Amino acid sequence: MMLGLASMTAREIRAGLLAGEFSAIEIAREALERVEREDVRVRAFLEVSKKLALEAAARIDAAVAAGRILELGPLAGVPVAFKDNMNLVGTHTTCASKMLDGYASPYTATCVQRCLDAGCIPLGKLNMDEFAFGSSTESSAFGPTRNPWDLDRVPGGSSGGSAAAVAAGLSPLALGSDTGGSIRQPGSFCGVVAVKPTYGAVSRYGVVAFGSSLDQVGPLARTVEDAALALNVLAGHDERDCMSQDRRVDFTANLGEGVAGMRIGLVRSFMSAEGLSSEVRAKVEEAAAKLEAAGAKLEEVELPHVKAAMSAYYVLGPCEAYSNLSRFDAVRYGHRTPGCESLAEQYEASRAEGFGPEARRRIMLGCYLLSSGVYDRYYYRAQQIRTLITRDYAEAFGKVDCILAPVAPTTAFGIGEIGDPTEMYLADMFTTSINIAGNGGMSMPVGLGCESGLPVGVQLIAPAFRDENMLRVAAALEREYGAALVAPGFADERAGE
Amino acid sequence: MKTLEEVLVDWEAVIGLEVHAELTTLSTKMFCGCRIEFGAEPNVHTCPVCLGLPGALPVPNRDAIESIVLAGLATNCDIEKRSMFYRKNYMYPDMAKNYQITQGPVAFCMRGWLDLDVEGPGAKERFGLTGAKPGQTCDGVSVTEEGYRTRVGITRIHMEEDAGKMVHLGGEGGRIAGATRSLVDYNRAGTPLIELVTEPDLRTPEEARLFMQELARVYRAIGISDCSMEEGSLRCDGNVSIRRRGDVTLGTKTELKNVNSFKSLHDGLTYEIRRQAHVLEGGGSVVQETRHWDPAAKWTVAMRAKETADDYRLFPDPDLAPFDLSDEFIESVRSRLPELPGRKAQRFVDSYGLLARDARQLVEADGFADLFDGCMAVAGPRAAQLAKPVANLLINDVAAYLNERGADGMADASIRPAHLVELASAALAGEISSRQAREVLWVVLAEGRDPAGVIEERGLRQISDVGAIEAVVDAVLAENPGKVEAYRAGKTGLAGFFVGQCMKRMAGKGNPRVINEVLGSRLA
Amino acid sequence: MGPHLTEDDVRGIAEVARIGLTEDELARMTVDLNAIVGSLAGIFEYDLEGVSPTFHPIGGLVNVMREDAETPSFAQRQALSGAPHEQEGFFAVPSILGEDGDR
Repeated sequence: MMLGLASMTAREIRAGLLAGEFSAIEIAREALERVEREDVRVRAFLEVSKKLALEAAARIDAAVAAGRILELGPLAGVPVAFKDNMNLVGTHTTCASKMLDGYASPYTATCVQRCLDAGCIPLGKLNMDEFAFGSSTESSAFGPTRNPWDLDRVPGGSSGGSAAAVAAGLSPLALGSDTGGSIRQPGSFCGVVAVKPTYGAVSRYGVVAFGSSLDQVGPLARTVEDAALALNVLAGHDERDCMSQDRRVDFTANLGEGVAGMRIGLVRSFMSAEGLSSEVRAKVEEAAAKLEAAGAKLEEVELPHVKAAMSAYYVLGPCEAYSNLSRFDAVRYGHRTPGCESLAEQYEASRAEGFGPEARRRIMLGCYLLSSGVYDRYYYRAQQIRTLITRDYAEAFGKVDCILAPVAPTTAFGIGEIGDPTEMYLADMFTTSINIAGNGGMSMPVGLGCESGLPVGVQLIAPAFRDENMLRVAAALEREYGAALVAPGFADERAGE
Repeated sequence: MKTLEEVLVDWEAVIGLEVHAELTTLSTKMFCGCRIEFGAEPNVHTCPVCLGLPGALPVPNRDAIESIVLAGLATNCDIEKRSMFYRKNYMYPDMAKNYQITQGPVAFCMRGWLDLDVEGPGAKERFGLTGAKPGQTCDGVSVTEEGYRTRVGITRIHMEEDAGKMVHLGGEGGRIAGATRSLVDYNRAGTPLIELVTEPDLRTPEEARLFMQELARVYRAIGISDCSMEEGSLRCDGNVSIRRRGDVTLGTKTELKNVNSFKSLHDGLTYEIRRQAHVLEGGGSVVQETRHWDPAAKWTVAMRAKETADDYRLFPDPDLAPFDLSDEFIESVRSRLPELPGRKAQRFVDSYGLLARDARQLVEADGFADLFDGCMAVAGPRAAQLAKPVANLLINDVAAYLNERGADGMADASIRPAHLVELASAALAGEISSRQAREVLWVVLAEGRDPAGVIEERGLRQISDVGAIEAVVDAVLAENPGKVEAYRAGKTGLAGFFVGQCMKRMAGKGNPRVINEVLGSRLA
Repeated sequence: MGPHLTEDDVRGIAEVARIGLTEDELARMTVDLNAIVGSLAGIFEYDLEGVSPTFHPIGGLVNVMREDAETPSFAQRQALSGAPHEQEGFFAVPSILGEDGDR
């Protein structure tokens, strides 16, 4: 019997399991079969963890059979797939890089472990831009992932595999990581709910670092409620991550409250930004109008220093990445060029072979920007700009409860369409300032663009540790636009029911 | 090359030290919960953090932070409440992340000092103090009875993590040169390390050596490190330059490395000063470089000349929250600060009338000062009376015992203060001789028995009873009338014969002092 | 706005970053880095006099420490599981001659 998993939400799957409508093993089998059958078109998965999935399902079924239903976690029976920069024992962690091809981590990331502890069925590891450097998933050493809405287009990036897997109905939930927009931008391109929580809300332990002061883990789902359920599992203090904080709330609590009386801000400089496509602008304006109609009060807010965000981001990210990626030296793990006579030769050959072009560029850039004399002009100034941008957001959130903005300037672009690195960087123009300030942001699907016919997401930005604010607004938009759809061509038989 | 003494007539040496100490008394590493253990199988005390695995994050050890604050308080530093950890980026295989977590411009401890008492032959290395009177200030140091006292500035003490260990294969004697392969063990990687940097205030190799010894005593006294230069838990690099006497500008310095004993530090610096003088006097110039001390050859060898200053691309570590230490935190650490060696020695002089030199010997030997304090507590009202004999027992006899046994400090011998006091009072009362006290002490230490039992068993207790001794003396004199006559005629050398005869009759247990007194009065 | 990087500059950076680039790659990298550095002009757009830097976002976290308590370590086999080259319980590397000889 087909369960019709593709169109089911995480909540529905768990509820069906608890009601005895189907077993965890049935869920696992169907999910694995779907991935096997459908992912040849999308290539979202780098590895399918069949054994782990079946084992997890068997454990859940055993618990159900033993009547220990109360012990089942909030994600019991829910398939979850993980971006391939997240360590999971029993799988490989490649970061979509030749450098880590075949690397099996001997430990599991906290965010992954929390999902496992919550009873999820781990489906596997998802494609990404190499080491999360990119906005299209094209820099993956294992080939690009395709956008389920248009297989000739990119899914966005760097968490492109995560967004594509959810959009194609291969997994109701996926985890991604976001350093400058890497959850939100693919969320927008693939039309799924994609949340980057406040920095510190979710532990970074075990997630391969890119920009340590910017990286944050978050869920991608097709409904706001599923994303909130996942956040309930993910969020919370982890003693292994110094920057993680115990600021848990029930993220599902106020989803139904509506936006009446909420103050929602629009950023004028964003709306008039050069490069913002008219279809995306139109969608943001449409969403604003719907929220106003639902009782929200719209206000214009200024973020006077946000213009410098892109520059600051492309200083901070590469500097931290240069340092973080220096551990890939072919000594303890990772790609090693054989036959080198000296360590120096082995370092240079292994790193040249192991890192792709964008990774090399960012490492070299960071190495330069941190050098003596240059540091003060760039890195230090970027951290001063962080102060100003943080202040801008704090002031804006003195006036509004949530900010509405574009996620990406355009809808999904074609595979191979953008070759110039600095042009690619523009995909992050509306997202990086949030990573710099550290507060939460998410992409909420609001239908298809009027010109491209491709999914468009709007960005909702919340004050630090008030991520529930943006989820509440997102839930209101979901009621207006309907839940995100599985991409056409990927819906299964029950999808229409 | 000229001798050090000759060189220092014309030249002044300027020395600064960088001292690394591993916090060996902690259970776990600086940023992870792996055990700190010396000499384990390779790579068994490792985890994602200290192996630098992808995704791992550091979390600082609270006790390590407390330890460095304690070190700062013990060396008169200002404790900086606000500081951060930084990343020092450079690739080297023993450093798992290829960056070292260390501190930036602001360290936990800044601007401290230690006073050194330089005495004995080593004090002569300091030029220009001959003829100076105690109490005088001369060349920036204060002259004392037995040498001089000088204050050494401490620039900073910062917290960092140690690297792993490497073994080099294929070359000669485990050196890098000629090695075809190296092996890495990360057990030591991430061990908490504190680095102390002195001001360039030291002027002689002896001062440098004494500074290291004093620092090791302080660190041991506050219980943060075992300070073993042999095992590498205390490591030292010396920066040394020389300048013509009277010059203000500093000369070009060299950095001395591979110093693994206090003696090596002294000898290596001495060699460098002599070598630099030789180079400069020969019309050459000193190259700024790192030089390796070869203790066997007794010279230094140039390693790598630094063409450009190293650029470590230091930046604040985003993975570690900054520090803003509270007053309560600092005060709670301060409350754990024990009495430090210098102050303790002064107390022994002031309270018990010990000689300054003896007091210093007590605080310099591991565990002796505590034992001495224990003895004084046991002695109670007789403390002042027993202080010197107890101190002598410790400095001479206990030290000799430990030295012969090769015992590691006090650890192997169970020495009870009550026993030492008992022995000291027996010796003071003349019940046993000092030679016998030593004999008993060795049995007590070796077998862990109490002194009274040993004295009884060996029949060592001296006979000091005047009546009993008079009887023996009278008998001896009666048996040797000829010798008595000869003595009285002026052959006073026979006194020894009479004492010997008395001792023989008393099986060696007669109190020699009483025998002498009785003999003296009988023969008068 | 940013300084112009020459191929020699970039060669020096590659040496520090330990990435062996061919001459062609070096030329391409020089073009790319100059373009990227040139795009960072936003950094100079504001007067930052007197603005303190924020090195850690979501400020307020200070003194985060753990207790000095032991946690399980890897078995040697686990520690070495990813090693490209191991020998007798150690990680093995080729001759390190020419590396910074400070140790």
